[in-house]
Amino acid sequence: MKNGEIKIETDMEHEIEVDEVSEGLNPHAQVCLQHLLRVWLGFERDLAKVPLLRRIDLGTYTAEDHQLFLLNIRQQVIEGSRWITRTASSFDRDHAEIRSTVISHAVDEHRDYEMLEKDFVASGGRLEDILNMERNIGSEALHGFLMHKSSQPNPIDLLGAMWIIEGLGEKMATSWAERIQELTGLGKDSTRFMTYHGHNDSEHMERFYATLDSVCTDEKAIRRIVKTAKVVARLYRLQLEELEQSGE
Amino acid sequence: MYITSTGIFLPGPSIAVEEVENILGAVHGKPSSLRVQIQKANKIQTRHYAIDENQQTTHSNTEMAANAAEQCLDRAFIGREKVGMLAVASTQGDLPAPGMASMVQAELELPEIEILTTHGICSSSIMALKAAWNSMRLEEHEAALVVSSELASRLLKKQRYEAATTSTFATKRIDFSTEFLRWMLSDGAGALLLQNKPAPKGLSLRIDWIRAFSHAHALPTCMSVGSAGRTEDKRTWQDYNTYAEAEKDGALLLRQDVRLLENLMRMGVDGYLRLVEEGVSNPSKVDHFLCHYSSHHFRNKILELLDRAGVGIPEEKWWTNLYTRGNTGSASLFIMLDEFLRTDEVSIKEGESVLCFVPESGRFNTTYVHLTVVSQ
Repeated sequence: MKNGEIKIETDMEHEIEVDEVSEGLNPHAQVCLQHLLRVWLGFERDLAKVPLLRRIDLGTYTAEDHQLFLLNIRQQVIEGSRWITRTASSFDRDHAEIRSTVISHAVDEHRDYEMLEKDFVASGGRLEDILNMERNIGSEALHGFLMHKSSQPNPIDLLGAMWIIEGLGEKMATSWAERIQELTGLGKDSTRFMTYHGHNDSEHMERFYATLDSVCTDEKAIRRIVKTAKVVARLYRLQLEELEQSGE
Repeated sequence: MYITSTGIFLPGPSIAVEEVENILGAVHGKPSSLRVQIQKANKIQTRHYAIDENQQTTHSNTEMAANAAEQCLDRAFIGREKVGMLAVASTQGDLPAPGMASMVQAELELPEIEILTTHGICSSSIMALKAAWNSMRLEEHEAALVVSSELASRLLKKQRYEAATTSTFATKRIDFSTEFLRWMLSDGAGALLLQNKPAPKGLSLRIDWIRAFSHAHALPTCMSVGSAGRTEDKRTWQDYNTYAEAEKDGALLLRQDVRLLENLMRMGVDGYLRLVEEGVSNPSKVDHFLCHYSSHHFRNKILELLDRAGVGIPEEKWWTNLYTRGNTGSASLFIMLDEFLRTDEVSIKEGESVLCFVPESGRFNTTYVHLTVVSQ
């Protein structure tokens, strides 16, 4: 079980950086965040039941599992930059500030899939396999939904989608990457996509909260954002549940 | 329904951090390489054990439970004949069968009462409390006694580890999962008296609601006794040919999968937010927060998020005696409530609300109790 456990102490000792918490959200944004937290925690709990991911918890995850994971996730990462850029173009002049935020977010992430391809090769996969991989059923559904939503005028509810996808990025970086290396014996170069997401996380989240505060100002906005988060969580899980069905 | 009296029993002298290994014993005479690190992380300064430095039991679990119950009854304003129900919680009673409540009833000599034994880990005391509270709400009893007692040290003494010669503990250089709780848990008992009216003098605690959410359906087992701790090995201790083989294989060692622990905090927050969402709990009206885990375990992004979402509970409202009384599992909250009502560290006023949170890592059961301070 090597170093993973030694880390526990530093986790427990981790101090909150209080100065980041002080800027307050408006009351609607606060309620929205309460709901989003529950959607996230439910999503995370559901992910623990997905067989391939459960193997991370149980300690039986293999290099083959990791290849399968990367193989299936790539399509969504490529499409991710498409729906984000489309989201930006769907905001009108009254939402210029959000549009700028979304554009800069898209710039940060639109080549991420290349890193993921390298991770796949470093995990023992063949480049042509990942380049030729089709979207699985869940990726189709997720992509279809996100492209539809991002084409709507002023799609503020996609904050719910970002919440889930950013949250997962953070989970990969903090909970999965190191554990996967430990379980599979693969090197750091097999989890760069996962760890890279952790680096940008706090900056992304600060932007997220600022945007939430500016757009979530009534009950209707809360409902839209939370519902989209729920749909994305469900479809993302479908994508991960379909991992082991791919290629059939 | 009201908590009108409390009592505790903490066995033996208070044991300091550096004395702990003298009591539990150094395995094969060799000091643990993990002790200091784990003790530093849990920050528990003193605790109590019902075993002596030769690992001989000084008090049975039943005796500890009965002692706490006696103190609780001695402090009550009613005679013990009014007690119609005894609910007892423990992770492991002295006997696998019958239920511990039978043994405690016998020790207390309470005649012809209804009994209940709850089995689980930390949250079993809340299960017992809820069942007793519900019986009271059905007006079946005027008074009920709820007792929780833990004697974890018998599981943690050096002989257990020395006997586990083919276990993960013996074969791994460092086996965090079998050692983590060794430096965490200790012994003690707490008792609460429930009545259908407040005590005639002093403060009582009205039970407003008790809720619990278990997540065993989703997550693997995190804290357990009874398996060898190997994913591929499905046997439990009773599936070995002899108990001796089970012990040898480490199937009787107490285990904690520390990697899964962060889920406990997350599920705790989920339940808390659910109660807020349902309008059951109002964070802005919580005056005191008693948590079975100390706040530093929660110093994490998720607490920061609760603050940001406007539902965090400020640090100054948290109160615990975990650092001085030890982590006594299911008994912790009762031991905490007893001291909370007596300590000068906090001032408690009529009308104030007390939110209690007892998460159980076993297979992720999270329990919440809401109380209001009242006087007659």
